[in-house]
Amino acid sequence: MTPGRPKSLAPPRGAGAKRLGGCMSDLAITALLIVSLFLILGSGVWIGLTLSGVAWIGMQLFSSRPAGDAMAVTIWGSASSWTLTALPLFVWMGEILFRTRLSQDMFRGLAPWMQALPGRLLHVNVAGCTLFAAVSGSSAATCATIGKMSLPELARRGYPDGISIGSLAGAGTLGLLIPPSIIMIVYGVSAEVSIAQLFIAGVLPGLMLALLFSGYLVVWALMNPSKVPPRDAPMSFGAKLRESRHLIPVMLLIAAVLGSIYGGIATATEAAALGVVGSLIISAAQGSLNWQTFKESLLGGTRLYCMIALILSGAAFLTLAMGYIGLPRHLAEWIATLGLSPFGLLAVLMLFYIVLGCFLDGISMVVLTMGVILPTVQKAGIDPLWFGIFVVLVVEMAQITPPVGFNLFVLQGMTKREIGWIARVTFPFFLLMVAAVGLIYFVPEIVTWLPAQMRR
Amino acid sequence: MRRLLDALYDGAAWLAALFMVGLLAMVLLAIVSRLLHFHVPGTDAYAGYLMAASGFLALAHTLKRGEHIRVTLLLSRLQGGARRGIEVWALAAATALAALFAFYSVRLAWQSRQFNDISTGNDATPLWIPQLGMAIGTSILLIAFIDELVLELRGQRSHEVPDEATRNE
Repeated sequence: MTPGRPKSLAPPRGAGAKRLGGCMSDLAITALLIVSLFLILGSGVWIGLTLSGVAWIGMQLFSSRPAGDAMAVTIWGSASSWTLTALPLFVWMGEILFRTRLSQDMFRGLAPWMQALPGRLLHVNVAGCTLFAAVSGSSAATCATIGKMSLPELARRGYPDGISIGSLAGAGTLGLLIPPSIIMIVYGVSAEVSIAQLFIAGVLPGLMLALLFSGYLVVWALMNPSKVPPRDAPMSFGAKLRESRHLIPVMLLIAAVLGSIYGGIATATEAAALGVVGSLIISAAQGSLNWQTFKESLLGGTRLYCMIALILSGAAFLTLAMGYIGLPRHLAEWIATLGLSPFGLLAVLMLFYIVLGCFLDGISMVVLTMGVILPTVQKAGIDPLWFGIFVVLVVEMAQITPPVGFNLFVLQGMTKREIGWIARVTFPFFLLMVAAVGLIYFVPEIVTWLPAQMRR
Repeated sequence: MRRLLDALYDGAAWLAALFMVGLLAMVLLAIVSRLLHFHVPGTDAYAGYLMAASGFLALAHTLKRGEHIRVTLLLSRLQGGARRGIEVWALAAATALAALFAFYSVRLAWQSRQFNDISTGNDATPLWIPQLGMAIGTSILLIAFIDELVLELRGQRSHEVPDEATRNE
């Protein structure tokens, strides 16, 4: 048996209905399973275990195949699959960079160039998150790393807390959209879409979203000129350029990781390995690499990966079990009878994910729903690559909606402000993301053009 | 007993970290071998095995550090007896599920050994060897859950939420 995804275990069509007979009882039991899933999740049982538990019950009810053995084989297949190996490496890379002086360096390198723009240093949040997102796979880590430096600096200069925290929370979500991105790896593995292609597809939408954020900051600054503090002492052009040398390490790392994927010389996993080595080199060059930081980043990365792996294991088994229940097929057929246009379908899905994001984290959301929703989406003729970027954008929105939004948690920890207040100052950026979803819907080339260039 | 258990979790975590370094080394080896045109068979499969071992062996340690995620919306709003009741339920349910997970993981490795299951990739590894990591890791997770359940029942479990947990994804 290969360590690939256990696709060969997919059940025959309609295998489930036999044992229980009747379509009604199928539906009732499916509804019961979904309700029990949310009850068990809500009562605080660990997410990964809950998923495999519900899948186990579902398989016992709907299939004559021994559930326990199917569970072990499926989980083994997903946990040892080669496509997933990019994930732990990117997680580790993020943990290394978090423990370097990269955020200080980026602030010093970016700040001089932002003084002339309306909104001045607020743009450092957006530009900093955009750059850091290109070496980090996670939005919460992007938010934490950039905020660690920019929030105190902005507060010291007298920028209003509302707009600095709001713009950071919004721009932090770029960590998911701009590659490398953990959620894209998770989506790529569940949907069997090339991770390298997904990464490249995220670049233009990410830059577009960054421009939207910056544009909003410009408008805000022009409308509230009294709230923008005066600029720092002016610098000569040469001095600005010299300060920019602090950006060189991060630029080199971006070139190594994204350049090697785009150029087709490395797979996503190999780029991740280069990224880990590059991050260790940066860390050493800055003098922040010692046994203590190496140990912390390695163990921290291992734990973070392990947390994700437990959820992925449960989800892999749940996807198999749902195949036996026939839920994805029933759902696709049911939605087809509604006669929704692709636009209508996507609008419904967006609302669904935003509501789901109020309770679940992004990874759980993606792995929990992909097995069910993908057949519907494919039936509607939506490109799975484009849909991946759509899902990432919508999951990003979920990162900044209360009560569960990881960027909100991070900022709550950093600023000691109330989560409701943070969500309120972030709301304009939430609306900008809705606008971004509209833009990629009407101009899908924003997503598909760059990966198409790569294919040649 | 306490010290023995903690040593077990930490030891497994260190082993997991070692496998993570091994994963990096394996991928780097694949890159170097391609650049220098020599062939090492099965690096992809080995990378997968190392990743699996790393993930499974770290399970218990990650649980003990409170970094496995769960929905705490309800729990964080409860106090006193109600909270304790829900905690005991969640831990008991998780212990049962971990037992299921551990039993079938051990069985999988055992059966692979019995039937001489060999990887169909060009690494041709007898599958029970890498599956040992899954069997051992899930068994230690079961021990950790029993440990947590006992601590909760005795009222000795700490409910601190670590900062690190919020840095995921």
